[in-house]
Amino acid sequence: MLATSLRTLRRGAFIATALAAGSFAGAALAAKVAVITPYLAQPGTQFYVEAFQAVAKDKGWEVNVIDTQGDVAGVISRIEDMVNQKVDAIVINVDPAQVTAGLQAAKDANIPVFGMDAGSDPLLVTNVTSNGYAMAAETSTYVADRIGGKGNVVMFVFDAFPPVQARGVVASAVFGNFPDIKILDKVTPDVSDGGIADSRAKMEAILAANPTAGSISAVWAGWDQPALGALQAIEAAGRQNEGIVITGIDANPQARAEIAKGGNFEASVAQDFKGIGSATADAVARVLGGETLKQHVIYVPTKLVTAANAAQ
Amino acid sequence: MLNFARRYGTLIGFVLILVLFSARLPDTFMTARNWLNITQQLSMLMVVAAGMTIVMVMGDFDLSVGSMASLSGIVAALLFTLGYPIWLALGLALLVGLAGGLFNGVLVALTGILPFVATLATLTMFSGAAFVVSGGKTISGRAIPEAFGNFARDGVALGPVTLPNLTILAAVVVLVVFVLLEQTTFGRRLYAIGGNIEAAHLSGVKVRRLKLIAYALTGFAAALGGLMYASRVASANPTQGSGLMLNAIAAVFLGMTMSEQGEPRILATVIGVLIIGVLDNGLTQMSVDSYVRQILVGAIIVLAVAASSISKSSRR
Repeated sequence: MLATSLRTLRRGAFIATALAAGSFAGAALAAKVAVITPYLAQPGTQFYVEAFQAVAKDKGWEVNVIDTQGDVAGVISRIEDMVNQKVDAIVINVDPAQVTAGLQAAKDANIPVFGMDAGSDPLLVTNVTSNGYAMAAETSTYVADRIGGKGNVVMFVFDAFPPVQARGVVASAVFGNFPDIKILDKVTPDVSDGGIADSRAKMEAILAANPTAGSISAVWAGWDQPALGALQAIEAAGRQNEGIVITGIDANPQARAEIAKGGNFEASVAQDFKGIGSATADAVARVLGGETLKQHVIYVPTKLVTAANAAQ
Repeated sequence: MLNFARRYGTLIGFVLILVLFSARLPDTFMTARNWLNITQQLSMLMVVAAGMTIVMVMGDFDLSVGSMASLSGIVAALLFTLGYPIWLALGLALLVGLAGGLFNGVLVALTGILPFVATLATLTMFSGAAFVVSGGKTISGRAIPEAFGNFARDGVALGPVTLPNLTILAAVVVLVVFVLLEQTTFGRRLYAIGGNIEAAHLSGVKVRRLKLIAYALTGFAAALGGLMYASRVASANPTQGSGLMLNAIAAVFLGMTMSEQGEPRILATVIGVLIIGVLDNGLTQMSVDSYVRQILVGAIIVLAVAASSISKSSRR
């Protein structure tokens, strides 16, 4: 019975070969590209992969998408298998520091590996991701504009996590360029419960310390959770009509919902997941075309989300 | 004829899989390079499945091996961050495995809780402990000593090929379990318990003590598998071992279809692990969807076990 099913399988494989041979006639040298991720089930990753495949289809590549379902060691194993198959390029969406063994195998075989929002690594040709610096610049300049370049700003930062630390540096520089903007406080919330509850508690203390209307002009947060916590604190204190401007970063669904209401939480920044996927495919195409990429990180533009476009 | 199919069906299936992949991947499958890759890729599963075989010989189960593998990796990584030397951190992580396994043994042998329930409870406990110890985060980067990550990348040069360290470690574990189960009184007594626990008890086998030891060994193997995983990815994450448990049980089951009385045998477990690892490797190279592999492994278990029960009922 097993033998029969295997025979059927083999017959299917023959048919597949015949079909593949037919399509090869059209594109004599279809590039083989493997996309390997442990996180295919996550919505962001699906956007990357779909956009990548759309570009790959135009280019006529054979794309093999491999999901190891959370198994990071499995990513190393599958990179080894793809190296063995001598694919033309490999794309990963996982922390490169955890799959060094696989990256080394690819390098030894001269197969280029690309990061799709993976993190920087010397063994990657390039990593395509959103520009955290630009995201922080978007929201901090939004704040400076809304408060007319004048007033007290509360910042929520998190220096222990490098991507968020970079955002804080940029926002501080932007506010520092306005002589009449004063950083009232730089708060690092406890994130062990998600960050909203402790941010709310910290904001309540700041509100109590600055009771007069207009003493706080804005709250700039390095990501959405502290912005949501600050909003709750302001609403609970009944100070939502003082015109305090709140901004976050990431534009998660909860943040979008608040921004769409048109309240104090006015803006956040959304990453362009599809853009990251197609930009990765473009980078692969350039390298397959013989180009040497100068950039080890390729940044994909992000989008400011306000009440005008929060529902999109 | 039916008996032949029952006994050798899985093995024939395995050979057919090898033939299929060799035919479809003529240049890359049956190469020394690929087989070294395969043995390295399935080394962690091999170690955990070898440990699983020990308790399954007694007709028991251990569902907690996956979360124990995660926990041991996390414990070692945390000790690295605290500046412990590598040998001490690894030793303590293995002790955690031994202690966790012993705890399983206490619940099953002394308290008398069904293995399924007891180890389901400890699965959750070990997993929770891994989250508590790590704070839910992945420990990676500079916190992990370079030598620890390099271990999984290095090997012993044998002429033109390099035998990966992980492969060697897995082979040693299989050898130790083989000697333990097939060549010692301890092993024969475990098989006696698996055959008929009452008879074993009446004939003077110290069932409780043997169960304690067996579970402790399974926990130890799970911890070792977890450390091998952590070395391979040069990091530790509180969920990274979770996929090992079902695959380990599936491997032992696949093996059980090959033995005379349907009992687990370590060498048969090795074939079971190879089937899973080879399917992963070959289907990936053939660009077959990774989810299809899961369906195939399940189908092979069903086919093999069905062949076995059909041949049994025809004898009646």
